[in-house]
Amino acid sequence: MGNIITAEHITKRFSEHIALDDVSVEIPRGSVYGLLGPNGAGKTTLIRTINRITLPDSGRILFNDKPITQQDIFRIGYLPEERGLYRKMKVGEQALFLARLKGLSRHEALVRLKEWFVRLGIESWWDKKVEELSKGMAQKIQFIVTVLHRPELLIFDEPFSGFDPINANLLKEEILRLRDEGATVIFSTHNMSSVEEICDHITLINKSRNILSGKVDDIRRAHGGNTFAVQYKGDGKALTERVQGACKVLENEESSTGFSTLKIHIERNEDIRSVVALINDTVEMRQFTETIPSMNDIFIQAVNG
Amino acid sequence: MRKNIGLIIGREFRERVYKKSFIITTIVMPLLMILLSAAPTLIMEYADSETRQITVVDESNIIAPRLASNKDVAFIISNNDIATTLVATSQDEANFGVLHIGKDIIENPNNARLYTTSSSSLMLEEEIASQIEDVIESERLKAYNIENIAEILDKVKASVHLTTLRTDKDEESAASSAIASSIIGLILGFLLYFILVIYGAMVMQSVIEEKSSRILEVMVSTVKPFEMLMGKILGVALVAAVQIAVWGVLLIVCSAVIMPAFMPDNILDSVQQVQGGADAALLATQQNIDPEMLTALSSILNTGHIAMIFAMVLLFTMGGFLLYSSLYAAVGASVDQAQDAQQLTAPITIPIIIAFVVTMMIMKDPNSPIVFWCSMIPFTSPIVMVARIPSGIPAWEIATSLVVLYATFVLCVWGAAKIYKIGIFMHGSKPTLRDLWRWLKN
Repeated sequence: MGNIITAEHITKRFSEHIALDDVSVEIPRGSVYGLLGPNGAGKTTLIRTINRITLPDSGRILFNDKPITQQDIFRIGYLPEERGLYRKMKVGEQALFLARLKGLSRHEALVRLKEWFVRLGIESWWDKKVEELSKGMAQKIQFIVTVLHRPELLIFDEPFSGFDPINANLLKEEILRLRDEGATVIFSTHNMSSVEEICDHITLINKSRNILSGKVDDIRRAHGGNTFAVQYKGDGKALTERVQGACKVLENEESSTGFSTLKIHIERNEDIRSVVALINDTVEMRQFTETIPSMNDIFIQAVNG
Repeated sequence: MRKNIGLIIGREFRERVYKKSFIITTIVMPLLMILLSAAPTLIMEYADSETRQITVVDESNIIAPRLASNKDVAFIISNNDIATTLVATSQDEANFGVLHIGKDIIENPNNARLYTTSSSSLMLEEEIASQIEDVIESERLKAYNIENIAEILDKVKASVHLTTLRTDKDEESAASSAIASSIIGLILGFLLYFILVIYGAMVMQSVIEEKSSRILEVMVSTVKPFEMLMGKILGVALVAAVQIAVWGVLLIVCSAVIMPAFMPDNILDSVQQVQGGADAALLATQQNIDPEMLTALSSILNTGHIAMIFAMVLLFTMGGFLLYSSLYAAVGASVDQAQDAQQLTAPITIPIIIAFVVTMMIMKDPNSPIVFWCSMIPFTSPIVMVARIPSGIPAWEIATSLVVLYATFVLCVWGAAKIYKIGIFMHGSKPTLRDLWRWLKN
């Protein structure tokens, strides 16, 4: 598939501090790509660099393997974190204005807008003034305007902030639907559960540097540290004694009524099957799973470590 | 990306023109101005219609018999002394006041007092004082024992009205009235001053709004900052142009249709003759009209003249507006809220105020060096030149001033765009003039 965006050694300095320090990112076409990082890490600056709002001091951005140009910007939809609309303007008029700025004809924009308004059930907002809308309502409008011109690449900066769970879910579904229709989605967030649910790739930026990049599954597995959980029925003491030599027992939570849980660490070069055989020999095994850390754990570990 | 600028201009224009306040100021303002200018006459006409009765106690016996009652004041002579008269009149509702004239009034003209029960009016006091003055003057003259003094004085009296004819114009030497031109000039200067300040602030305010509501961020991902800046400036300029055009049309209609309809026929005839080149002074004497008024009327009622002036006003307003609003936009882009802008707008406002002050000097001499140079320097030229134009200015001066103005505008927009580009992404710290200068050099 190739990469839709390749950022090569991007460095951006502001007068007092360095916002991006030699950051390289590759964003595969068709992926949902998460840009993670604590506040002030440089996520928004990276997004602005991709968008050509700010130009990097050094390094370059490739769009579909060619240096990005102003024309390419029309193929990008960008929803900034701190978003705004003209408060005094009517919703429909404003959406039409922004859509036409992105190169849609009046007619085309009108047709697509109506379609979106119907889909999200907000037709009645068309003639309302923006100042009459709640924050979440205004964000819906902005989302529509961002994706309306069907850009190849969508960039959302903190898209879920300000949404209630129902609308956040609606938004998530729309994002996935857009991906299924062929768009690539980049979004920056601190919301780790949303990362696990919809991102397939991530980059973790901390203190202006890219400290972790890759597929979400690979990263979680890599951070798994080869710990496993065993659910069993039987003599816990005997089990601990039996497996002691083959692996390291981290914890053994015994329960007299139901199933007990044993947590073990198996060294990478050890044979997992022999450990399983030992367990199977001693107790009645119900479940054997690898413990994969959540993105939240990885995030905190990576940033603090 | 010309299409984008068009879209932005359209949005800025619609946002303002469809507002009620715009329609009100455009239509109501001129009506208000006409009303305001007519107000003093109307007030004089209606306010002081009541005749005030004044009881006069004259110890000199010279003044009282010669005081003349008229529609404003009625004099009643009292033979009692002042104390008794005051007591006697205090119960009389009809009596407005008591005038007490001292014995030595001829030698000591200040020895006159007016006692009133309620506050008197300036007009009443002036009326009484001037009547007393007349009597004293004629009494003093009489003391010289000159024969037929009244007749001599009558003959000596002369009233001079200068009729100014311009000889430097190629067109017919239209009679121009200095007073009418300078008043029109002053009004136009005033108008320009307001347009520059109000519309400039409007541009600044709306840039601040776009910045603080983060619309700019949404926009600049598709529109270049320069397009945003130009779109806004041109959009608001269009609004100003429409407003001035409406005012111009109203004024032309007023001068071509409404004013002549209300004018007495003989004056209108004379005005038309003056416009046709007749001698205003001669006509005025024949028709028994004030010649100054006749020339003034003929230039106000000259529709072509008015239209020409308005075309000029439009050109200078646009130039001045474009120049100043680009500066205001740069300031707006660099601050987070309107309060922070004050320090930065000061250098912009100062030339406007200077220009306004210089405009006052035009009444004295529309061609003095300071006025001339201020009408050439681009930052003061829109206001000063517009105020000078009604006095009749050589075409080369107007053309030079316009060229300089528009050239400076291009330069300013270029600089403003640089500040704007950086400013719109600067949040938090309040920038100083030095910061702006650094951004400009960036």
